[in-house]
Amino acid sequence: MDHLPDRYVLTRRGLVATGLGAAAAASTGAALAQGTPAPAGAPAKPGTLNTAPVSQAGLSPRLTMHAIDNFHGTPGAGMVCDLAMHDGEGYRLLKTVTTAPSGRTAEPLLVDDAFKAGRYELVMHFEAYFATFGVKLPSPNFLSLVPIRFQIRDAGQRHHLPVLFTPWGYSYYRGS
Amino acid sequence: MAGITTHVLDTDRGRPAAGVRIDFSVLDNGQWRLVKSVVTNADGRTDAPILPADKAETGQYQLEFHVEPYFKARSGTSEADIFIDNPVVRFAVFDAKQHYHVPMLCAPSSFTTYRGS
Repeated sequence: MDHLPDRYVLTRRGLVATGLGAAAAASTGAALAQGTPAPAGAPAKPGTLNTAPVSQAGLSPRLTMHAIDNFHGTPGAGMVCDLAMHDGEGYRLLKTVTTAPSGRTAEPLLVDDAFKAGRYELVMHFEAYFATFGVKLPSPNFLSLVPIRFQIRDAGQRHHLPVLFTPWGYSYYRGS
Repeated sequence: MAGITTHVLDTDRGRPAAGVRIDFSVLDNGQWRLVKSVVTNADGRTDAPILPADKAETGQYQLEFHVEPYFKARSGTSEADIFIDNPVVRFAVFDAKQHYHVPMLCAPSSFTTYRGS
């Protein structure tokens, strides 16, 4: 854990907190330009937590997700995710989405006729996510492209997929 | 000790998950190449390290945990409650001199992994 002080110096969030944000943003941006490119629409800093939990009780059957950054203690905003469905031979890409400031996607991953029973894989771009915020990690990082595999057995039920993550681990479960 | 080890725990029952097959693969020229398949023992671990210290080298590795047969065979589990689908963990060994313990904590509807010790 000897890299902790460096990590905080490198994050814009930490710099903003000490009043050095403007000057640091330029240099941090330059440093980042040499690493993994930030995904389009990525936020400039880790999201802030200023909303109450969202209940989806009573909504129609759908698949939704929520990325939670347990490293910064914020929603996982700007996380690029590739959703694929198993077609019997392999995973076939359905769509690529980027999480909103809330850590959720603007639209359900799947809803209405698109929401079908089957085996799915959501590949989350952890390494690019943390690179966006200038988190100092080994290269390649322990976790980079993380596959989240799950099954929808009954498309008549609403399914929520929360993913709690840090650069060193993650957890997912059938949420609500 | 360098290398890769794992430990499979059934957090639903609070005990090791025995008899779970694990497929261990390495990324080789852009393709996942199966190195070996092992089965967890009564303690939820493998009898030998997944990757022994003398074979440790940097690279991208994959562990696929075949937990669905484990849960189906477990008494009192409804198949309809199995949400996770044979979790796959992909990780990098970025320093071959370090040890990588990659535990998996699972229940029919949840999965957790991390760099352990």
